[in-house]
Amino acid sequence: MDELYLDNIDEYVNDHNKIVTYKWLSLTLGVHVNTAKQMLFHYLDHKRKESSAQLHATYLVSGKFVNKGQASHKVSVVREDKLEDVKAKMSLIVSVHVYSVQKALLKDSGPLYSVDYDAVKDNFQTCSKYSAISCSSAQPTSPLEQTREIQRAPTPEPVAKRPGQNGEAAPASKASTKPPKGIMGMFANKTTSKNQDKEVKSEEKEEAPAVVASKSKPAAKANPMSNFFGSQTAKKPDKAVKDEEAAAQSTCGAELRPQSSQPEEKQKAAAQSPPKDVKIDAKKDVKKDTKKDVKKDSRSKTKRIEDSDSEEEKMEKKKRRRIKKPEPDSSDEDVIPDSPQPMETEEMSPPPKPEVEAVSHSRPSLPGTKIRKRRRVLKSQIFLDDEDAWVRHQSMTEKGYESESYSEAEDDFQAGKPPGKNPVPAKLPAPSREDQKKSQKKASANANKGSKQASIMGFFQKK
Amino acid sequence: MTTLTRQDINFGQVVADILCEFLEVAIHLILYVREVYPSGIFQKRKKYNVPVQMSCHPELNQYIQDTLHCVKPLIEKNDAEKVVVVIMDKEHHPVERFVFEISQPTLLSISSDTLLSHVEQLLRAFILKISVCDAVLNSNPPGCSFTVLVHTRDAATRNMEKVQVIKDFPWIVADEQEVHMQEPRLIPLKTMTSDIVKMQLYVEERAQKT
Repeated sequence: MDELYLDNIDEYVNDHNKIVTYKWLSLTLGVHVNTAKQMLFHYLDHKRKESSAQLHATYLVSGKFVNKGQASHKVSVVREDKLEDVKAKMSLIVSVHVYSVQKALLKDSGPLYSVDYDAVKDNFQTCSKYSAISCSSAQPTSPLEQTREIQRAPTPEPVAKRPGQNGEAAPASKASTKPPKGIMGMFANKTTSKNQDKEVKSEEKEEAPAVVASKSKPAAKANPMSNFFGSQTAKKPDKAVKDEEAAAQSTCGAELRPQSSQPEEKQKAAAQSPPKDVKIDAKKDVKKDTKKDVKKDSRSKTKRIEDSDSEEEKMEKKKRRRIKKPEPDSSDEDVIPDSPQPMETEEMSPPPKPEVEAVSHSRPSLPGTKIRKRRRVLKSQIFLDDEDAWVRHQSMTEKGYESESYSEAEDDFQAGKPPGKNPVPAKLPAPSREDQKKSQKKASANANKGSKQASIMGFFQKK
Repeated sequence: MTTLTRQDINFGQVVADILCEFLEVAIHLILYVREVYPSGIFQKRKKYNVPVQMSCHPELNQYIQDTLHCVKPLIEKNDAEKVVVVIMDKEHHPVERFVFEISQPTLLSISSDTLLSHVEQLLRAFILKISVCDAVLNSNPPGCSFTVLVHTRDAATRNMEKVQVIKDFPWIVADEQEVHMQEPRLIPLKTMTSDIVKMQLYVEERAQKT
């Protein structure tokens, strides 16, 4: 390859004072990640020989690590000065490569993540183009299959293995109630001992200096990863798995958690970088639930600024190097344009429709979906007029949109309303409803009463 | 795809909110990166979907919040021209000044759905730039402290003195000593332009920091 890249990197590092990670470089120059790693290495070498500028580098080290008799696979991003230390501690080193080059001495690993964030977000669909990880049998599912997956109940999973998976790259995405279970199902084979191993290992790593940009992945990552590659032959080289982990880890952007973080039931994946999701998910023969998580994840990532502002939450501290993504529950209304599965998006967040509460309209329910959603409900408030009749009087009716959280599984409420009672379809716009009511004021008082009674019963039933 | 103008209710407040939140994060980050306070009091939090370092010390946080609370009305009315974070040495001579120049267009109109995520992206770039700024700056002497100055247009501060926005948190006109720096070197860090605000960040550094 020509030597132009040296000048390019030089420009980025020295003139723009950027942090050049190998992933960012590969996306910017359009080269394979391995090439980018080599480029960085040569550049560093070159500059060090010239001993001109003061450059700092971080490295990614992955390998086997034995801790009190428990073997685990550890992937860390370390500063140059700690590199030899970390390498000495590993029992077997699988891969070491340059992670980033920058002028400034980084005090923590946060910027490493920020660097990749925007580059990856822009190339969301193609960020795995240059990646070294692939799984030929993993194909993106058709939207039809995805909706079927969503409706399928999540498989139950043993609780014990929960702590370990949060750090997992792909599956550890959005924290909503359903997806975690689906993802948990994937780790069905994990043993509890591995989990404890992870906990112990994470705690031990806690002692590492907080400032060092080093992080470690939960132990036995190889196991769940090989679960993902369930259909792959056993011959799939270990190295490939580890490389994937390394890459996956590094695509996490070197999250540093100097303090401990609390294990939670929910899948935590703070700032899940899209490449991680797309790369690993798209390449695995995974359950559709995971895919859905990915979509939800990407959706929530491009959430509006109001949401992200409210997300200034402290990561809970327990000794765990895990990425958390606190997610508000009711984020389903966003329809994100760049979501790769638009149909699924629509499934998840039906557009809010005006609906009159008191008049007995049967609420259309999506087939079998049991998802809590927020919707804006046009509620009419009925007032008793002088004759004490349950008549909707134009001037006394107030309509207001109320945001209401409801669950689709309110079948009992709907059953309460007599079935053939609703000549008016639910989506009738408000003004015409008003007119109808006005005309029906006296004449159909009884009919209204009848329907109101049904709806009132329904109202009580609903509680 | 609504077009909001400055007359729309709360629009000025929205911009001021965004800017004040950003300034809070930026101030915390500056304190962390320039080692004004020991790094032990800082903790990783998330803002704009990236990790940032924020302090846990309650009094420090309260001070920064009160400061920005008072600055917010100035930003709402577009009276604040510059917000400056000054780092001073033991003798209260400034050694570094992080200047945020803010300007808002008088006729604001938003016509883009992705405006806020675009602004978020730009602010993220600012945060990133602050994180790496110590490559271009000399290190500070030990025992530094910091303060926040606001340069306003016209005589907006007269109102501030009359009306105490926060009780027992008065603002005073800054001393010449705090404002003037000897032999400053200017290092630009980042600029951003968007529909709702234009901001520029540069650092003035004293040539000799001892």
